[in-house]
Amino acid sequence: MKRFPPLLLLAGPGILFILVTLILPLAAIFMFSFWRTESYELYADWNLDNYRTLMREPAYLVFLLRSGLGALATSLICLIYAWPVAYFIARHGGRYRLLLVLLLAAPFFTGVILRIAALQGILGPGGLINMALGILGFQPIAALMYTQTAATIGHVYLFIPFMVTAIYLSLVNFNFDLLETAKVNGAGPLRAFIEVTWPLNWIGTAIGIVLVFIPCLASAVTPRFLGGPRATSFGMSLGQQFGETGTWALGSAMGVVLFLASLAVLALMGLTVNLKRSGFTGMGTR
Amino acid sequence: MAGADLKTASLSLQSVSRHFGPIRAVDGIDLDIGQDEFFSLLGPSGSGKTTLLRIIAGLERPSAGRVRVAGQDVTELPPYKRRIGMVFQNFLLFPHKTVAENIVFPLRMQNVARAARDERLRWAMKLLRLEGLAARYPNELSGGQQQRVSLARGLIARPAMLLLDEPLANLDRELRAEMEVEIRRYQKELNIPFVYVTHNQEEALTMSDRIAVMRGGVFEQVGPRDDVYRRPKTEFVATFVGQSNRLSGFVETVKNGAVAFAWQGHTLHVPHQGDIAAGDKAQFLIKYEDIEVAGAAGKGRSDHRSGNSLEGRLRDIIFKGQTANYIVSLANGAELIASASSRDHKVGIGEAVSLRWPETSGMCFRS
Repeated sequence: MKRFPPLLLLAGPGILFILVTLILPLAAIFMFSFWRTESYELYADWNLDNYRTLMREPAYLVFLLRSGLGALATSLICLIYAWPVAYFIARHGGRYRLLLVLLLAAPFFTGVILRIAALQGILGPGGLINMALGILGFQPIAALMYTQTAATIGHVYLFIPFMVTAIYLSLVNFNFDLLETAKVNGAGPLRAFIEVTWPLNWIGTAIGIVLVFIPCLASAVTPRFLGGPRATSFGMSLGQQFGETGTWALGSAMGVVLFLASLAVLALMGLTVNLKRSGFTGMGTR
Repeated sequence: MAGADLKTASLSLQSVSRHFGPIRAVDGIDLDIGQDEFFSLLGPSGSGKTTLLRIIAGLERPSAGRVRVAGQDVTELPPYKRRIGMVFQNFLLFPHKTVAENIVFPLRMQNVARAARDERLRWAMKLLRLEGLAARYPNELSGGQQQRVSLARGLIARPAMLLLDEPLANLDRELRAEMEVEIRRYQKELNIPFVYVTHNQEEALTMSDRIAVMRGGVFEQVGPRDDVYRRPKTEFVATFVGQSNRLSGFVETVKNGAVAFAWQGHTLHVPHQGDIAAGDKAQFLIKYEDIEVAGAAGKGRSDHRSGNSLEGRLRDIIFKGQTANYIVSLANGAELIASASSRDHKVGIGEAVSLRWPETSGMCFRS
């Protein structure tokens, strides 16, 4: 009997999964983006009209820029907020470390819509913050009600667990003894952080940034609930092409643009990583 | 050139303690170390030697006591303001920096100008024979090279003193022997105090000018290496340093500082340490090499009145290279080990032998 190649058996399910869930849909989207939609029907006459529309109509550029800036702001806020949290858990969490990390994931036990609705209840006109301000005789904060700021707050809330987890996983593999070495050799706490902690945890941090930035760039639900009419995101517009307006081909072109933008961000982050200087292989003795 | 601009430095510890809850890791240590001393803290694991070293470095705060370096009280100073070099057991090189970047790190932290930095780097690389490795990363180096980089980093900023925490423990035997000699050479060349922590008595004996034997957070004995080896103050020191035979017996008489020690029907004349009186139970410890093995033929030659002599039979010879251990079974069933050059086997296995040692050898302690 001929033996079935065991390697193929092992790799098979994974390859199949990637093929079905990633490659095929991407290929389809890519193909559709060069087609044409008319009255909710796709026609396979190859053209570049969808891309021309995206470049000519300023609205799409505005949506993309808005989403990009929103994702950038969200990533930065998450970064600044998550580092101390992750550091605290990794350094001082002791035997509660795992529990503390799991607590961060607790919001995932409910759905996205529910969590966004809850945020709406806090930030909105009749929400917790503005109602409390009203009772105390203050003006409500307009910036929290259906604005880009509110959407960004929502994004930070939704994506911060990814950032904390990525940085935490990096820090638990970090040899904190190196900080003592830095201090004995004349580095104050800040200098030791800049010279040792930050560069040796940059890969984990970069992964965190990517994990926050990319879904945030494509986000549609959060800005719809929290952002109001002036915060239409690229993702929202994309969703509309496949929904209300039924312009699948244009939507596909938007999907391709989004995919390329994500790849660009990934490549950009990849450029900042110097494997030799990441300490990735150099931890040797611990 | 090196000695001229190094500031006169010495270390002074005044009743330094470190308690972790009920555990007294370091318990009231007083110590002065001179400018040109190679000083070792020798002790088993958990004896507090590493904690003491970390207190000197500033990585650990003492619960009580003062630490002075070069006359300055540094007890309250963080490690980065103490100008002390330190070398760690697991090297702890920065994995994301090259050899050169690792070595100049302390100078960069002191904002030394680039030209001066480069000059010092060349000096350190030459001293530690690291030429040609400047652009390598730590994971591209052998263990010995990593340890030398670590030493270079510890020495480049002309520290007031260098602390070494079991720096050779992770190296193989051959390399260790070589580094022992090298490290002592650096200390003598640079003329700054080295404080060396180890649990390895050979290392301590090879390198040190003075040794402190530590146990349970206190010093059992502090003194020149010969003293610690030849004249142990406590039974623990006698056991821990060198290889010794242990004889349990009791004291018959004490006369003029000499003890007549009764052991299994024999009376031995031995020196003693500390309070001891006739009738006390006691331990006599004598190093292997202090006992001489002679063929039974030589019996007549020996002078029984000065020195001790026991008769037995040579059971085995354990070859150690330069030396050999002669295991001798006595008539009473006990076994004693004598160590001597492995070259002149005067007696063969199974032959009758006599064991001899002068009255001044070994040390007796009340148990």
